[in-house]
Amino acid sequence: MSAIKVDIWSDVQCPWCYIGKRKFETALAGFDGEVNVEYHSFELAPDTPVDFDGSPKDYLAQRKGVSPEQVDQMLSRVTGIAASVGLDYDYDHVHQTNTIKAHELLHYAKSQGRQLDMKERLLKAYFVDGRHVGRIEDLADLAAEIGLDRAEVVQVLTENTYLADVKADVAQAAAYGINGVPFFVFDEKYGVSGAQDPATFANVLEQVEREKTQQESVK
Amino acid sequence: MTEPITSPLTIVGDPSAAVCEGDFCEIPEHHEQAIVNRRLDDDRI
Repeated sequence: MSAIKVDIWSDVQCPWCYIGKRKFETALAGFDGEVNVEYHSFELAPDTPVDFDGSPKDYLAQRKGVSPEQVDQMLSRVTGIAASVGLDYDYDHVHQTNTIKAHELLHYAKSQGRQLDMKERLLKAYFVDGRHVGRIEDLADLAAEIGLDRAEVVQVLTENTYLADVKADVAQAAAYGINGVPFFVFDEKYGVSGAQDPATFANVLEQVEREKTQQESVK
Repeated sequence: MTEPITSPLTIVGDPSAAVCEGDFCEIPEHHEQAIVNRRLDDDRI
């Protein structure tokens, strides 16, 4: 039977995207069928400067008028939920930034067959390691850490080689009516929004597999 | 460039699951209770 395709729209600085990724991976680990996963670009805050001088706490306080106490409470809750899926978020060292170059890097990594590794490295870099994921030199370092060609990464990011692919992903998200991330699309048919429990993802995978089995049995 | 796929999706799953929209990430209230329930199920509380 052909593999199930799962397209995932996500942003590098989306806390629910990393949490949802872990929950989806838990479902995948318990699923027998073949699944091909591809990540797509979604920019939550495209107007954020690359060198925003501050943390998410500063960003929310400055841009959204949320009080520091409220931000502390929100981040504490997200950190607790992340910990429940094994992720050690460190908001004291997160660098709020613009993620357009990170998305271009993910498309370059896809062209090299390494998109899943790059996605995981970028999310961990941002939420756990306190690394910068907006500047070309920092992104090239991260790419080199997973074995990609650092000089080539600098070149493609400087020349905006994959910018059109990022924009195409954003256009596809709009065509699907996607307003928030993470968003999972199964075989271009079922949409699942948010960091759902693993059982939800498992149920959809099993449903899609049943339907594919039925379709292929009548051919 | 390939034209976007416009066929509608069938939306499944919990409609109140946590998402980030714009530059703000909501935290559904039910999440805390869900974690407490899970820990109760695991006998961790």
